[in-house]
Amino acid sequence: MSIVCTHIGRSALAIRGCGAMTMVRYAQTAAAPAPAPRIKKFQIYRWDPDTPGDKPRMQTYEIDLNTCGPMVLDALIKIKNEMDPTLTFRRSCREGICGSCAMNINGGNTLACLNKIDTNTSKASKIYPLPHMYVVKDLVPDMSNFYAQYKSIEPYLKKKDETQEGKQQYHQTVEDRQKLDGLYECILCACCSTSCPSYWWNGDKYLGPAVLMQAYRWMIDSRDDFTEERLSKLQDPFSLYRCHTIMNCTKTCPKGLNPGKAIAEIKKMMATYKEKNMSVS
Amino acid sequence: MALLLRSMARPGFHASRSQFGVLYRHAVPMGTTAKEEMNKFWDKNNRLNRPMSPHITIYRWSIPMVMSITFRGTGVGLSGGISLFAVAAMVLPGNYPQYLDLIHSLSFGPQFLAFTKFALAFPVSYHTLNGIRHLMWDVGKGFQIPDVYRSGYVVMALSVLTSIGLACL
Repeated sequence: MSIVCTHIGRSALAIRGCGAMTMVRYAQTAAAPAPAPRIKKFQIYRWDPDTPGDKPRMQTYEIDLNTCGPMVLDALIKIKNEMDPTLTFRRSCREGICGSCAMNINGGNTLACLNKIDTNTSKASKIYPLPHMYVVKDLVPDMSNFYAQYKSIEPYLKKKDETQEGKQQYHQTVEDRQKLDGLYECILCACCSTSCPSYWWNGDKYLGPAVLMQAYRWMIDSRDDFTEERLSKLQDPFSLYRCHTIMNCTKTCPKGLNPGKAIAEIKKMMATYKEKNMSVS
Repeated sequence: MALLLRSMARPGFHASRSQFGVLYRHAVPMGTTAKEEMNKFWDKNNRLNRPMSPHITIYRWSIPMVMSITFRGTGVGLSGGISLFAVAAMVLPGNYPQYLDLIHSLSFGPQFLAFTKFALAFPVSYHTLNGIRHLMWDVGKGFQIPDVYRSGYVVMALSVLTSIGLACL
């Protein structure tokens, strides 16, 4: 009985406390004049696979920036939560480490979670899916080809001698480890690949900047034994050499990496690795 | 009966598993190859008739991007122009001084001539200078974005200056 009593007493206290708090809050907001709403327009690419004969279109949403978080992803989530639950997009970590919310915002590819909303309310923000990709729905592109290309470069450590596998750590000097900095941080969001005109026109045969940078990451790993084989796999007119140093990739990378430079380094290695092989044999 | 079945099935099960274990030690188990996944991707997207997201029409142009397409354009224009000139020199009657006299006799204004000379000289100088920029990239230098812009501005300024110089000859 006493337990029940204290319980009731406590919850009554809690309610009273809550009431006092809201009163304080009201007093505070009443003191400051309500800020003028800052209405920002978002024009978003829409396409619904389940509506037969639907054509891609732009839909405009209006958001008061005073009641919205600072990033474009905040605006998208607000639209989905409060205005239009049918709006479809990928998101997960909201801190630029998962790469899910990669999209084209105001003409450049970036992560919606790392991209601040342009607070100039006189201009609408335009949001498209990643460019030149098949659209699954709204802002969701089909990334399967991109992932398959990543798979094709065998992005894992390969050893000629497998008998020592798992017995000991593969050691690396500090200098050798440093070579991987600026490469391993890639989150495979595909912003760079889908910003590349060469990848737009030859996405079936050209591997694109993101995948090539990972190919380079394994080529220069001091612990990997398959550098020559990895290089010779790229020896055709398309896989590597459709890169014409347009540099959209490096310009757009939301992680500040440099795929353009990595591709140039592969091209340099391609020019010399055969000579080395020939001098040995 | 059930017990008998189970006791019979068990060793067989273990045997088949160990067999797989041997197989897998030498061949990495993979559900599908990259090639199969790519084929599936194209088949699926063609079948579903999904739209292609907009690309060149919505992507924001930058100076390096414009310079890149101009490099391609001047390259195609120059090789086309030179081939045309060569074929014309072979096929057309008369020789070069006659055509030069013809142009003189048409008595174009000096502004028109200066502009034409510039228009002919610019692709040559731009393509040459931007080619040097590409050679610099080929040795792995100047890949930071500020460097890309800086070398771009230098190439544009120099190609305008050299074209004016060539047009004044």
